[in-house]
Amino acid sequence: MTITEILSYGFIQRALVAGSLIAVLCAVLGVFLVLRRLSLIGDGLAHVTFGSVAIALFLRINPAVVTLAAIPLVLLSSFGILKLTDKARIYGDAAIGIVSSLGIACGVLLASVAGGFNIDLFSYLFGNILAIGTGDLLLALVLFAIVLLAVFFFYYDLVAITFDEELARSSGIHTKTINTVLVLLTALTVVLAMKLVGIMLISALLILPAVTALQVAASFRVTILVAAMLAVGSVVLGIFGSFILNLPTGASIVVVNFAVFMLVFSVNKLRQAR
Amino acid sequence: MKRLLWCAVLLLILPLGACTQKEPALGKGKVQVVTTIFPLYDFARVVGGDRVEVVLLLPPGVEPHSFEPTPEDMVRISRAGLFVYTNPYMEPWVAGLLKGIDRQRLTVVDASAGVSYLPAAGEDNGHDVNEGGHHHGGMDPHVWLSIPNARKMVENIAAALGTKDPTNAAFYRQNAAVYEQKLTELDRKFQVGLGNCRTRRFLHGGHYAFGYLADHYGLQYVSAYAISADAEPRPRKLVEMIALMRSSGTRYIFYEELISPRVAETIARETGATLLRLNGVHNLSRDELQGGATYLSLMEQNLVNLRTGLQCR
Repeated sequence: MTITEILSYGFIQRALVAGSLIAVLCAVLGVFLVLRRLSLIGDGLAHVTFGSVAIALFLRINPAVVTLAAIPLVLLSSFGILKLTDKARIYGDAAIGIVSSLGIACGVLLASVAGGFNIDLFSYLFGNILAIGTGDLLLALVLFAIVLLAVFFFYYDLVAITFDEELARSSGIHTKTINTVLVLLTALTVVLAMKLVGIMLISALLILPAVTALQVAASFRVTILVAAMLAVGSVVLGIFGSFILNLPTGASIVVVNFAVFMLVFSVNKLRQAR
Repeated sequence: MKRLLWCAVLLLILPLGACTQKEPALGKGKVQVVTTIFPLYDFARVVGGDRVEVVLLLPPGVEPHSFEPTPEDMVRISRAGLFVYTNPYMEPWVAGLLKGIDRQRLTVVDASAGVSYLPAAGEDNGHDVNEGGHHHGGMDPHVWLSIPNARKMVENIAAALGTKDPTNAAFYRQNAAVYEQKLTELDRKFQVGLGNCRTRRFLHGGHYAFGYLADHYGLQYVSAYAISADAEPRPRKLVEMIALMRSSGTRYIFYEELISPRVAETIARETGATLLRLNGVHNLSRDELQGGATYLSLMEQNLVNLRTGLQCR
């Protein structure tokens, strides 16, 4: 099958466009998150959405809009992660662990009281990159614009708090505000992008391109650019590769990401050994 | 991810539910029957009538392929007289579970004993064998979707109840005979209803569950997913299905119960097809269960939708 033939399918076009937009978003946020020890925030917040499923059950919300029920809860939880790291002096990984297990526990309690399910709500919360609609595409575009504008606007402050929060605070940056902005953007990205492409892909795109870019890049700006390019490249390569090799697409993209990481890592090691 | 969540949910929900909900009070003279999935539950309650107490192990809305029993379930099963499961391909966890249970009181019934199995992959539609997943190993577990098989399952359940409770054996046989008659009528309705259709091929955006139904009525069946319910679809499979729909002018695509019809929608968007529901009768939603849905009523709905989808007269 030729490339033009593959591209003639609407679902492939949408997968490429929405996938690339989300890849850039995740890669950019990922660089900040990885450096701040919040790599697993994607997985953590996905667990939290379970609590929102319970709410949807109670209120008998239409499954198509169950994501809307998830947004406030996920924003709140991401804020909780931030508060825990800040006030209780806990590392990010532990804070994420606390919030995600609490999310599941509350969901379980509520769901048990509600007594059974009407549909498999998880299938509505977690999407697939091959099944993106036109409305979803618009959603990805709006999300892309919001997050990138915010990162652009707060860029220097974000970089400052990522490297040395104490220094940033003493030099007059409102670190609390900036921290809040970062986790809220992440929460919004995770919950909406997860509905489009599924949690496995989000989780991978938040971590792998950032980690790979950190292996090579010199300046912060370059790191972000490299991460974004790697992420988009892996999405495009993963989509076409899965087509040619007849494999599931989401998993292929994750494997491509890991392969790129291994490649960059090995080249780095070889160069250092010399 | 999803699986992990469900395991966590099930581990926690079921003990809670068992504490608060109807604990089967070991009713006097009534045979306690535990069934795994909905069709068995439905068959057992029809055959047993008021002389048995039937429990459905799966909570409503839970996707049965990913179900795993909890310790509380084990207690419930060990108190029962009869444990009815579909077959080793549908519930691979049964063998392990039975090791931990005192087998002297409990009679275990493989409801599919004696049915005619089909291999796990429908080879004729280009379904890869290696897609089948290790869970079902070899045979297609969805046997109840062929009505002759369903009849055999009812027979098996009636025989097991009769052995367990010989004084009421005639009662069970009688109920089973009446119900089998209804199944035969439904089968005939399908034969007639699907006899004269514009196309004999139906496309399905879910997992490969309708192989038996297709085989029994001489239909061609193409599904987006393999037999295991939680795999990811492959892009080439979707393209094949889209091309097939375009070339044959198919105007309908089926989707399955309980899960989001996302993949079927993708194909529908590409081809302008209309979505129709085809119920695999694995498990019901809470509303359906409370609304009194039965195997017969769900299969009747399936017939109506199949007749629309295949454009039958």
